[in-house]
Amino acid sequence: MTAIDRTTGAPQPIGYSRSTLGRVALILRWVALFIAVILFLLPFYLVLRNALSTEADITSPSWTLFPKHLQWGNIKELFNDTQVPMARALYNSAVVGVLGTAGQLLLASMAGYGLARIPYRHADKVFYAIVATLMIPGAVTFIPSFIVVSSLGWVSTLRGLIIPTLFSGFAAFLFRQYFLNFPRELEEAARVDGAGHFGTFWRIVVPNSLPFFAALAAITFIGNWNSFLWPLVIGQDSSSWTIQVAMSTFVTAQTINIHELFMAVAVSILPLVLIFAFLQRYLIQGVTQSGIKD
Amino acid sequence: MSTRTAPAPVPRESARKGARRPKGIAGNTLWFWLFVGPFVVGLLIFSYLPIIWSLILSFFEAYNTVTPSKFVGVDNYVDMLTDHNFLSSLGTFTLFAIFIVPLTFVLSLALALLVNQVKIARAFFRSVFFLPTACSYVVASLIWRLSIFNGVRFGLMNTILGWFGIDGIAWLSTVSPPWYWIPIVTVRLWLQLGFYMILFIAGLQRISPTLYEAAYVDGAKPGWQTFRYITLPQLRATSVAVLILNLIAAYQAFDEFYNLIGNVNFARPPLVYLYGISLGTIQDLGHGSAGALILAVIIMLVTLLQNKIFGFGKAGD
Amino acid sequence: MPAHMPSRGMSRRDLLKRTGGLAALAAFTAACGGNTGRPSDSGGGGNKVNLSQWYHQYGETGTKEAALKYAKAYTDANVSVQWTPGDYGSKLSSGLLSNKGPDVFESQLNIGMVKSNQVVPLDDIIADVKDDFQPGDLATNTVDGKVYGIRMIVDPQVIYYRKSLLDKAGIKPPETIDDLIAAAKELTTNKVKGIFVGNDGGLALGGPALWSSGGSYLTDDHKPGFTNERAAQAFSKLHELYTSKSVLLGSPTDWTDPGAINQNLCAMQWIGMWAVPGMQKALGDDLGVIAFPALDAQGKPAVYSGGWTQFVSAKSPNVDAAKKFVKWLWIDKQDFQEDWSLNYGFHIPPRKSLAAKAAKLQSGVAADTVKLNADYGHTDNPAWTPKMGTAFGDMLTNIIRKGADPAGEISKAEKTVNAELSRLFG
Repeated sequence: MTAIDRTTGAPQPIGYSRSTLGRVALILRWVALFIAVILFLLPFYLVLRNALSTEADITSPSWTLFPKHLQWGNIKELFNDTQVPMARALYNSAVVGVLGTAGQLLLASMAGYGLARIPYRHADKVFYAIVATLMIPGAVTFIPSFIVVSSLGWVSTLRGLIIPTLFSGFAAFLFRQYFLNFPRELEEAARVDGAGHFGTFWRIVVPNSLPFFAALAAITFIGNWNSFLWPLVIGQDSSSWTIQVAMSTFVTAQTINIHELFMAVAVSILPLVLIFAFLQRYLIQGVTQSGIKD
Repeated sequence: MSTRTAPAPVPRESARKGARRPKGIAGNTLWFWLFVGPFVVGLLIFSYLPIIWSLILSFFEAYNTVTPSKFVGVDNYVDMLTDHNFLSSLGTFTLFAIFIVPLTFVLSLALALLVNQVKIARAFFRSVFFLPTACSYVVASLIWRLSIFNGVRFGLMNTILGWFGIDGIAWLSTVSPPWYWIPIVTVRLWLQLGFYMILFIAGLQRISPTLYEAAYVDGAKPGWQTFRYITLPQLRATSVAVLILNLIAAYQAFDEFYNLIGNVNFARPPLVYLYGISLGTIQDLGHGSAGALILAVIIMLVTLLQNKIFGFGKAGD
Repeated sequence: MPAHMPSRGMSRRDLLKRTGGLAALAAFTAACGGNTGRPSDSGGGGNKVNLSQWYHQYGETGTKEAALKYAKAYTDANVSVQWTPGDYGSKLSSGLLSNKGPDVFESQLNIGMVKSNQVVPLDDIIADVKDDFQPGDLATNTVDGKVYGIRMIVDPQVIYYRKSLLDKAGIKPPETIDDLIAAAKELTTNKVKGIFVGNDGGLALGGPALWSSGGSYLTDDHKPGFTNERAAQAFSKLHELYTSKSVLLGSPTDWTDPGAINQNLCAMQWIGMWAVPGMQKALGDDLGVIAFPALDAQGKPAVYSGGWTQFVSAKSPNVDAAKKFVKWLWIDKQDFQEDWSLNYGFHIPPRKSLAAKAAKLQSGVAADTVKLNADYGHTDNPAWTPKMGTAFGDMLTNIIRKGADPAGEISKAEKTVNAELSRLFG
């Protein structure tokens, strides 16, 4: 180990790690890490195991570590189940995830920028009105929200699934905080070139904030993909079910096929795991940067 | 994740701050509303309108209807505040928060410290702990309920107990001792620890190594001393953010209770109870709305109190 | 020395590179307001009205296809079926509150639905065949002398057991609650539990236990009927059963699913007749049935005659067309009613004439169940509202699972029930 680990920000003095105490501590840390890794991966293992097992394997009294014969046929069974339109549900979730994320970011980033950068006498009041909505749990206003949406005629439509979720006070709050910290030098350079608020925002601020956008986009997409209660109420028609709603049909059915259910779980988390693999850098970088004052 | 760090020991910062006010641009008010307007309109329709609607409902007798006619004054509020089920659901939440907030705080900080000090495959470890964030409460509850903590012989936990010759436990059904807390708390920990860990890692990486170097020069010992007097204070802003986000999320607990044990009166957080009153088959929207608003007021009070104690929001500009 | 920090600013080069992503973002947003991919409601059958019919999700294979088949066969209106997974109760609630709810739906009647004008009386369409319905199936849908729903199916809930396991243990089918507890203990091994009554520890048994003591939810003159000493005794017995260590808890599937008994996790299970085909497939003839046993010699066995009923929403813009459809499907089309009752799960047709013809229910364990239902069946009282039900359920939870004093819990529930009764009946 180097004397001062500058990359972690948690450096150690020279010689420390060579002491016996240091070695014990080091070993303990690795043990803790590995135990944690096992615990965190365990549920994923169970999903894979159950998804590729037969029902008899899963319910057998003795634990099978992994099915001897992988039941890839379970995928076919899942997609052929007429009770649950899996393909359609995946498509709906993708649409809701992508459009919901894009719309939410657009609205919240503009609002956040306006709040942070455009001088206006009542900006504080508007800001507090937005933050106040964070404190009201969504489920609390759930019935009236449904009434509003249904009086717009949006029940069982993708519109009804997407539009009411676009106005996230939390995202606007985050963007405002982020833009407050945005270096003014860049904006002022644009101003000198004659750009107005709009030009500054689109040509300078947004392009320089893409990691932050990417981070929020990833978080929002995950949230949209995973949300359950709202799609359950709005998606009355099976053609507008999302993947989470489709999965819930398995649990509430009078008869549960555990292997099919877990195959559905596996299918539903696969896209997210892939997105995680590719977007994780942005996600983590953006989270890091959101707190940095420069 | 939104927090701004406490004033960093870089003097340049504060000097710059406040020195610059935006230069006036003609029609600022118009521009402000062009930027903020669409968002605010949506918020009015999809957040404020429902809230106001709830407020109105809470003063009416509203069974099976959202356009009630019988005004009952504050009766619904009185009923809810004397309803032992509602009160005990508030108690359930408090108990849940007592478990989950400190546990999340300590464990996510511990994970962050562990990952941060690893030099090999750090990205791998970070990804592993972060990955559960990709799963929904529906998915996690299914795994917990059907595979890990089911009460029969082929559940994972009972299989493991079986290896040691211990009888299986009906994790989600046993009231005394209240085993159901184990699945409920662990499912949330699994889902959210990674997220808060990332916040802490970010916070750790913002701590200037010079602080540690200076401390060592002054004779400080690594380990607890530096952690106590440098790392923790420097993580203050992150810690506050983690606590607040965590507490707000815990207040709104619904999914895992609903999916794991359903609407039962011994472990029922307020939202599950209110959902049952107003959205289940009861459809008593007057009482449901009153309870919801009481809950909202409590959440606001606690948040404000926390802000006062920890000074969150001072950073607001 | 923050050299290790990732650089937050971006070069001009990055700046140019990334504006492309922005354009994509804008494009997505523009697309958002547009087509939602849902076909409009119009189209199809010319001037015919559109009716929306809601079902909860039946577990048995083929039920959804059957519902669609019926809807398609109706020629006087375009009927669209909504097959609802998950929490049907709350979805139906929110649907009925809005203008986008069903025209025709299945549910169970309670007086609150009538008081808040959610359902319309159906006396005119049932008049001709009223005598053909079982009295209990009419009573459960009647408020103030008007019939509000057409019973679709009757689902008796009883205890099914594995004959072979009882034989092996040398015990007879239980006749009293004490017998039941003793049998459950006797049948429990380290692999198999004696009985499964639901993961909640037996809340479903509350009503049957009450009936078996001679009580009822509400008396005929609208007073609580569960407050006497015998009722308390019956509830205590449920607690005794729950703590006997012979009850299966935490099964992946709940009591409505035959999974537990089929997978040999329990020897007896409280479940409805709908599961008989599924259990016979897994267990063959190794199946017997009893009602919930009598509390004691003074008591009487009890069966819960649950089921589903078809209603017409008062909010429907086409009430008359909806009523016509309900009459067609649930009164006139006997072949469809027979199909629905017998070809998927087993249900008793509420029409006497149909039940008499139902060959599949005339032999074996199904026939036994039908007989038990006739002898000991209890239907829901429409004056019993969901709010009373919740108070009753809380009472049971406290008594059964927490071991609370029955008398105290009963009086708590009694208070809620009386408040509801005075709200409804003055």
